[in-house]
Amino acid sequence: MLAVQIKAKEEILPLISSKRLFIFECLGCRDVHYPVEEAQELIGSLDEEIVGKATLDYLCHRDYSREYIKAYAPEIDEAQVILVFSCGVGAQVLSSLLEDRKVYTGCDTLYLSGFQGLTAKEYNCGQCGECYLNYTGGLCPVALCSKNLLNGPCGGSQNGKCEVDPDMPCVWQQIYDRLARLGQLETMERLGAPKRWNASPLQ
Amino acid sequence: METHLRDYTKFRPKPAEEIGEVFRRANRMFVLSCGKCYKVFEQEDEGQYEQLLETLGDDASKVAGHKRVDFLCNEFLSGKKISGLDLGDSDSIGVMSCGLGVQFVAGLFEQTPVYALSDSVAHGLNYPSEVGYHGISLEDDSCAACSQCYLNLTGGICPITNCAKGLLNGPCGGATAGKCEVNSDVDCAWVRIHDRLTKRGELLSFGYVHTRDYSRPSWKTQNNLSLQNRESRGEGFYGGFHPLEKKEVTADRRIEQFAEPQTAVIFLCQHIGKRARPIVEPGEMVKVGQKIGEADGFVSAAIHSSISGKMIAVEDRPYPAAPRKELAVVIENDGKAEMHPSVQPRTGYEALPKEALLEIIKESGIVGLGGAMFPTHVKFSPPKPVDTLLVNGCECEPYLNTDNRLMIEHTEEILAGIGIVQRILSVDRVLMGVEENKPEAIAALSRFSDKYPSVQVVSLKTKYPQGAERSLIKRLLDRDVPPPPKGLPFDVGVMVSNVGTLFAIYQAVAKGVPMFQRVITVSGEGLSRPGNYLVKIGTPIRDIMRHCLAKDVEGLLEEYDVKMGGAIMGIPQANLDSAVIKGTTGLTVLRRHPVGVSEERDCIKCGRCVEVCPMHLYPLFYGLYGKQGDLGKALEHRVEECVECGCCEYICASKIALLSFIRQEKAYARSADKG
Repeated sequence: MLAVQIKAKEEILPLISSKRLFIFECLGCRDVHYPVEEAQELIGSLDEEIVGKATLDYLCHRDYSREYIKAYAPEIDEAQVILVFSCGVGAQVLSSLLEDRKVYTGCDTLYLSGFQGLTAKEYNCGQCGECYLNYTGGLCPVALCSKNLLNGPCGGSQNGKCEVDPDMPCVWQQIYDRLARLGQLETMERLGAPKRWNASPLQ
Repeated sequence: METHLRDYTKFRPKPAEEIGEVFRRANRMFVLSCGKCYKVFEQEDEGQYEQLLETLGDDASKVAGHKRVDFLCNEFLSGKKISGLDLGDSDSIGVMSCGLGVQFVAGLFEQTPVYALSDSVAHGLNYPSEVGYHGISLEDDSCAACSQCYLNLTGGICPITNCAKGLLNGPCGGATAGKCEVNSDVDCAWVRIHDRLTKRGELLSFGYVHTRDYSRPSWKTQNNLSLQNRESRGEGFYGGFHPLEKKEVTADRRIEQFAEPQTAVIFLCQHIGKRARPIVEPGEMVKVGQKIGEADGFVSAAIHSSISGKMIAVEDRPYPAAPRKELAVVIENDGKAEMHPSVQPRTGYEALPKEALLEIIKESGIVGLGGAMFPTHVKFSPPKPVDTLLVNGCECEPYLNTDNRLMIEHTEEILAGIGIVQRILSVDRVLMGVEENKPEAIAALSRFSDKYPSVQVVSLKTKYPQGAERSLIKRLLDRDVPPPPKGLPFDVGVMVSNVGTLFAIYQAVAKGVPMFQRVITVSGEGLSRPGNYLVKIGTPIRDIMRHCLAKDVEGLLEEYDVKMGGAIMGIPQANLDSAVIKGTTGLTVLRRHPVGVSEERDCIKCGRCVEVCPMHLYPLFYGLYGKQGDLGKALEHRVEECVECGCCEYICASKIALLSFIRQEKAYARSADKG
């Protein structure tokens, strides 16, 4: 999952100044993390002529966006620049649907950890393609150890906290505790094979 | 519809040897499998479990049981499902899901070993960055969420995710015939960028060299954002969302008396239950507040004339709450506005016994004014004792300010109405939930906190559908009402009443004014005179539109939708010939959406409908079965519990007509029920 931040006005102005604009604003993830007020503020502060504006959600859904482009065809034709407020996926989908038009984005996209599944949650998964959870009591060292260590703790933790970030628990401490509760401490002695770092991409 | 969608499912089975090894360590294993997400949702089950059994061979006898849990990473729903499972004699649990699901299950079972039976996989080329499917759709375009978007310089093609080397300042020079030297199956991103820019009439020239700041944003920033979001979404009750409020259009407009209609169309069924029986004849003269329809049966309500004049007909007229015609009394205004002698202020009502108060409410034809229109005298005679009265001042629908203005302008009348209901129900505890986007109402109520100490006003974070009574009960009291249609608030000792209803109760009991008028918000887009109006029941919608548009209404419905109620749950009107009924909270006029919901688009199993459903349901199945024409199967997913709040359809990434499928399926379920 991701969060969207509005770019600084100075960064966008050179691309759009004194052009006629059509604006796409995607609210799909607004409930999650789209800064509505900041976007309105930026749009409101533009001196450029805005020939039309479409507010939709899930701009990243191609079928849906295509229908919107049809619905707003006259305004989009009239515009010189199409300015998009969405995540990087939405901006790319729109660019590819309007290949010969100047499509610019007003946003930066940043990653939200722990959001790659569906729901906001405590857990994270590095999608490494080689799941270690069977040896670690169900706690992921790839995602949760600052040093991504796979064969036990680094030895630097203090009182169960990570030496890289004292606010963060040492996952190897947690793994040890959980394995102890499960009566599986012997798995700590297992030395894993070197990780296949190329195991993942499903392309 | 064209199919271009990709499968972004995130895990694959572990190699057979590794699964074998896991099973050697187990005696009896219960298997949980996730139904996967981010894929075109065409079949309910992919048969992963059957594949596992095949892989296991003889070891299959060690499997103690299996349960598929869709969206296993949804901790709230999956936790409920898993805790209700009978795990039999199993000594371990195997999980087929991505790493999120496995970790979640491992966290649930402290004493039982939990094993992963699958490996999670990423989809980006430049693993292990956080790349890929974090949009909602199943598009080819991926985004590394690098926080420094380069798309404006590169014609909308991302060099970070599309260039094997992640180059930012032009091609490496190694591409041959437009293909990448790292992988000759892949197009060189920079050739694509060049071609795209040429099409757009732009040049591949940046003027300066880009360096990338890999340091921002910090993990802490990201994590704080996720935490904030997690808290705000889950706050109070599971599900729901925060729509654009749009309340500012009418929030500051005082309630105005709307002109009496020339002709009033007063429906005989303005409530749940049996239609009222007309007790006046065509040709007869009636007065304001005169009873013209008698409650017919226990669950029914009386109907009163809202104007004085001559009754001209009892006939079928287009009904605003459903696409059908309903019997209505049509009255022609004589312009005299004569009150019926029965409308008299009542002194000493404070001392009246419970039964007398209920009788007044019944005779006054009061029903739930939040939109449900359930006869109030029936609701306030619960078969079980009630310990708490919840007053619903949420008004979570966009645009509406009916309850908001009542709380501001008629604060004390509402509080007095609460007092009357407290007497009827014999409850001491009253909680009044008001969303924080109504600060003026909260301030007005708090001015009376000394005079009405038993009423505790609670300011709630704005969220839809908080005004749904189950959500409100969960939010304010943390009690779970048993599922509908059987479970009702009194099962957990609660009665919920809307502020509008309480105002009407006060009017009826203290002032002797029966239910012949109500406050509605007229708002939306393209209106010259939006506002909050006290209108007579039976005022044709056409009259109201004409006033609020300040122009002719012909052709309005070609460009706009007129909904009775708010923007989300409001009922679209097929024409303007119907009239205001007791359940009309407002009229919302919205420019017709250029792209509507469709039955054809593919579900991508993003799971957002599951996240927002306040009833803890899985609406995506209703779409699947609906499309497949397999209506009866929706019952397996408890479709009868749906409250039709519309959250799922609102949030749906594919804009599937979920509500219409749900209504069909509920109708099917009801007819199957009858035999």
